Amino acid sequence: MNTYQFFNNGFGRHLTEQTNQPHVDAWRALSKSHAIVNKEGKPSTSRLTGWAIVRPDGASAQTVFQSKDISHDPRIRFEAFAEELERWDEAPRIFLTFSKAPLPIANLFMTVDLRAVRICSPGGIETFDYTQPVQEGAGVSQRNIEKWRIKNGT
Amino acid sequence: MEKFEVTAELTSPLVIGGGYFTLDALLGGVLFENLGDVEKAHASIPLRCTDGLFHASAANLDSSVKRPISFVANLRADHSLHPDLILKNKDGGIHRRLGKLRRSDFGQVLNSYSAFDTPDVVWYAEGDPEKTERLLSDVHFIGKRRGSGFGEVKGWQIEPSEFNGVTGPFDEPMRPVPVEQFKGDTDSLKVDAAWRPAYWHPENRAVCYAPRGLT
Repeated sequence: MNTYQFFNNGFGRHLTEQTNQPHVDAWRALSKSHAIVNKEGKPSTSRLTGWAIVRPDGASAQTVFQSKDISHDPRIRFEAFAEELERWDEAPRIFLTFSKAPLPIANLFMTVDLRAVRICSPGGIETFDYTQPVQEGAGVSQRNIEKWRIKNGT
Repeated sequence: MEKFEVTAELTSPLVIGGGYFTLDALLGGVLFENLGDVEKAHASIPLRCTDGLFHASAANLDSSVKRPISFVANLRADHSLHPDLILKNKDGGIHRRLGKLRRSDFGQVLNSYSAFDTPDVVWYAEGDPEKTERLLSDVHFIGKRRGSGFGEVKGWQIEPSEFNGVTGPFDEPMRPVPVEQFKGDTDSLKVDAAWRPAYWHPENRAVCYAPRGLT
């Protein structure tokens, strides 16, 4: 299963129609507006915001989607990512951060090894080694995940 | 088929946009410029290829000299961008006005890369060293931002080697190799990566064993 099939299987298929071109389906899911439930609890549409984690058996996201197949998780992104990495079970994940801008499919990568964790965002990909202490010049995600770990004594 | 080592001596920093910058990618790019056909270019790469995997290593660079570098490209309407290439809004128009006179009306794109202040780059491969040398002899710039003077090559050296470009002396991967095809040390790093040309194409990605360093 390649990156795009994995993404669609856990997340994309709940947001857009599927064709026989997984990377095109992934592009549609990552660039279009989707049916959500807004802060007032009313149905609305929005581009992707917040964060999501795609797993082999599904996905969770900070946004409340109208689709009940994507679990809602209100935690902040670094808390969610840090806990996911702490409970690493060797199965692939995709870590996504959104900012309403389309997330290019070239920035979509699975994480399959804690030594090369990849945080995918519209602006680029942050890759870091979760098994090593944070070095000078580390990226925003790695520094914040480390802060959360220290704060929570994990 | 011979095992050989290719060294590019550089006179300006090498700029890379991500990935592993394998020798087959470099040769495929050179061939595409000559032939203008992607399939023909890939079929003409003078390196050993097993089930789609070229015996050609990733670029070996000193990662301690890596630094981030960004450029802003001003894409001008009627010059760099044809309206047919731009995604349209629901009314069939382009999302924002593109003007020709003021810089603020240009389509500005920020491109971020990594720059390596390294004196040389080394690749290991198995294939035809003479054909490889002929192809590279006309290459004077490598990597991204070649038109801005980055990645200038002073000279190429090709020498016999003992490595095949796929696995190194400790059975470690020297390039991205799909998990199913890898016969080396399975404690090596695993990543989701492109493993065959065209490296930019989403369908050429798989979970691979890959060297540490460039990503």
